[in-house]
Amino acid sequence: MVAVRLQGIVKWLGKTLVLRGVDLTVEGGEFFFVLGPSGCGKTTLLRIVAGFLVPDEGQVFFGDREVTTVPPHKRNAAMVFQHYALFPHMTVWDNVAYGLRLRKLPRKETEWRIREALKLVRLEGFERRYPSQLSGGQQQRVALARAIAVHPDVLLLDEPLSNLDAKLRAEMRGELKALQRQLGVTAIYVTHDQKEALAMADRMAVMKDGMILQVGTPTDLYRRPASRFVAEFLGDANIWDGRIIAVHADGVEVETPFGKLHCQRPDFSVQVGDAVWVMVRPEAVQVTRGDEGTSAENTFVARLVRATYLGEAMELVLRLSNAEIKALHFRPDGGLPDEVRLKVAADDLRLLPRHEATAPTD
Amino acid sequence: MPPTTFASSLATKRQRRQIDYSLASLALWASLWAVFFAFLFYPIAFMLKGAVWHEGRFTLTFFALLLQDPALADALKGSFGLALTTTLLTLSLAVPIAFVMVRYELPMKSALNLLLLVPMISPPFVSAVAVRQLLARYGPLNQLLMAVGLVDPLNPPSWLDFPFWGIVILQVLHFLPIAYLNAVAALVRVDRSLEDAAKSLGSSGWHLFRTITLPLMMPGLFAAASLVFILAFTDLGTPLIFNYQRVVALRIFHMVETALENPSGYALVLVVMALSLLTFWAGKRWMERWQVQTLPRGPADSGEEKLPSSLAGAISLAILLVTFVAILPQVAVVLNAFSDRWFMTVLPDRWTLRHFQNLLVHPLTLTSLRNSLLYSLASASLDILLGLTIAYLVVRRKAPLPNWLDGAAMLPLAVPGIVVAFGYVGAFANTPLDPRINPVPLLVIAYAIRRLPYMVRACYAGLQQASEALEEAALNLGASPLRAFVQITLPQIVPHLVTGGIMAFAFAMLEVSDSLILAFEQNYFPITKAIYALANRLEGGAQMASAMGVLGMLVLALALTLSLRLMGRRLGEVFRL
Repeated sequence: MVAVRLQGIVKWLGKTLVLRGVDLTVEGGEFFFVLGPSGCGKTTLLRIVAGFLVPDEGQVFFGDREVTTVPPHKRNAAMVFQHYALFPHMTVWDNVAYGLRLRKLPRKETEWRIREALKLVRLEGFERRYPSQLSGGQQQRVALARAIAVHPDVLLLDEPLSNLDAKLRAEMRGELKALQRQLGVTAIYVTHDQKEALAMADRMAVMKDGMILQVGTPTDLYRRPASRFVAEFLGDANIWDGRIIAVHADGVEVETPFGKLHCQRPDFSVQVGDAVWVMVRPEAVQVTRGDEGTSAENTFVARLVRATYLGEAMELVLRLSNAEIKALHFRPDGGLPDEVRLKVAADDLRLLPRHEATAPTD
Repeated sequence: MPPTTFASSLATKRQRRQIDYSLASLALWASLWAVFFAFLFYPIAFMLKGAVWHEGRFTLTFFALLLQDPALADALKGSFGLALTTTLLTLSLAVPIAFVMVRYELPMKSALNLLLLVPMISPPFVSAVAVRQLLARYGPLNQLLMAVGLVDPLNPPSWLDFPFWGIVILQVLHFLPIAYLNAVAALVRVDRSLEDAAKSLGSSGWHLFRTITLPLMMPGLFAAASLVFILAFTDLGTPLIFNYQRVVALRIFHMVETALENPSGYALVLVVMALSLLTFWAGKRWMERWQVQTLPRGPADSGEEKLPSSLAGAISLAILLVTFVAILPQVAVVLNAFSDRWFMTVLPDRWTLRHFQNLLVHPLTLTSLRNSLLYSLASASLDILLGLTIAYLVVRRKAPLPNWLDGAAMLPLAVPGIVVAFGYVGAFANTPLDPRINPVPLLVIAYAIRRLPYMVRACYAGLQQASEALEEAALNLGASPLRAFVQITLPQIVPHLVTGGIMAFAFAMLEVSDSLILAFEQNYFPITKAIYALANRLEGGAQMASAMGVLGMLVLALALTLSLRLMGRRLGEVFRL
């Protein structure tokens, strides 16, 4: 199990600065995700780890070994490509055998490892097919088998599920995660799909404009984003302007367009008078029809503007003086009145700084 | 449930079929097929009948006679060996050049790209006239070798005793551009992520090229190989000038005179056609077999790698050397055309414009120049008309059986010029089109049909780029189909049409086999036949032939430059199989 360490990676592609000093450590055996919108540099980062690109500045380490300028074929870092990149002129068997034959293993060992890899991806019996005779999901699995057959130190995955249909994608998520566990291989997975990252990652990094904004577990990042960009990229979020009006030992009071909110103290230092953003996830907004009044903390009465039935929940848009709030109302039992009561726990409210390292888009 | 009758299911099918063909497009379609039948299928069928039907009975005697004739068997073997050698040598030159040109940053790249195309400007037949002089026993090459002491002045080697290699060299140099363009196209289509995948699995260098890049290029290369093979196999001009009798094309040429009396000629032509079709079909089959295996591909990452500057310089120099050698035959033609005295020296020792002046006064040359201009102009116009109509019907699916139409239009790639020409001589004898009386209509049609595949391709490329939605928008706004086509689509494809037309014109100017076979009377000679006639004259004939060659090369060079301007890198698409 090899740890991957990136230090101060800077990369220009032509006249574009694609990576602006990336530091990252992926622990041995970890399933690590790099998440970001297209054009954020995540694929470039992966190609640097694979050795297809050499960074202009900075270093890459596999364990203690510096591999910054080591060519790809000497890294033992197998990659699964977005379009699978299966060799069309070779059968499934020959595709999987390709890397093993280069390693000049004994014949028996080679065959055993091909079978083992195909068994792991549940493609036994497809050995003599050509890639074009397989479905998208099967091709994807051959690509995976080909990569794991060589027992790579690091497994690199470049949006491997993006060409599958929604149902298959959901299935493969579970399989991939289980497979990575079973192999215990260090894996770096690049995607723009936050659901994939949240579902599979041990830890993940969110990238934007060639920089890493935040690293942590999926729960960390989803529940405690450090910036507005991360908050919005990982899921639906209500975000309002706020101003600190009081700082206590156990929290802060924030003035918002619709009233005063009690929040937990943020990770960054705040003073009275500071402008911040206040964020809450729609599913954390508790909506009741009750008439218990609004005397409790962070409790308001709102008017129901729109209700959209989603199946597992009802998506509500509520209006509170001059602000709108999105809320998810689970197990809706019958309709809701025009006036509802909403409550947000101080735990679920998150303060975000107005100034980020990079300016947020939109 | 109501029972479904055959009639009702037919009715629904008819409703489902969205295309209903207009009368006008059906009429165009029918007249295209009429042209193909009259000038492509009928001559072939005529020869077939002549070869197997004698005195009212079916017979295979003539084919049997061919097989028993040792000289013919020898010629078949000779042609086969020649074509195979040429093909293999051409590709083994073209592939490495294409590889370094596509993959690496090289100094002078765009200049090299242009230089590599220069050999296209003259058929090997024209260069052969000059090269024959170059290789003479006391000719310039041996003079040069004597001067540097590599050759014994008293007993210089007689290069012309090896006409096989002379022909091979001229053909390889001439076909290099076509093979190069094909190899580049094949390489560009290779998905780079496949190579990345192989690298990440531990492959590199030669192993990577051998196991991934080359196999993925194979369909394109095989197609190019079959194209070059057919061209070399049926090349008439070069062996004719070198007087190399061991090739089928020459045998066929000699049989033209007796075509009507001796059906063996038909049999031989049919054998050659069958071999060409087989080669063509094999090339196509291979391409399709591989294309079935094409997978969704990643984004094209056409990055050029940097090399150490000394290595890049060395590669550029090597390619420059190859192009220099490839241009030598053309240089020889030019030198020959301007030489007054070129005897026992490396370079001519006296220069003159006399040969060009002679062109203007000599009746044969002046007539042939005028003839060629006329024929080429007519055939290029015909090509534009035919090509545009075919492409429109096929690309826009305006007529039934579009694939058949496409197949017929591409057939001339596989049916050699000598076959068509020979068929015309037989099939149209004693008709108003008899080439022995007036070859002009058949020459024009033969030129047009031979270049039709390239013209149709150019139109395909244009029409596929031109947005059909624009045409539909015009229709939607009330324009008639013809009006929409003329006003909206046609302006978008003018560059392609002009390019195709220029190429058709230029190649018609220097077409060899149809011209040699179909033009019997001197006053109908096109320039290639005039060059052939001049080359065989002793006094100054070769120089005048070269001077005509220079004129022809100028025309072709001008045409290629113009088309390159118009089409840019897409020119390669036109020359693919």
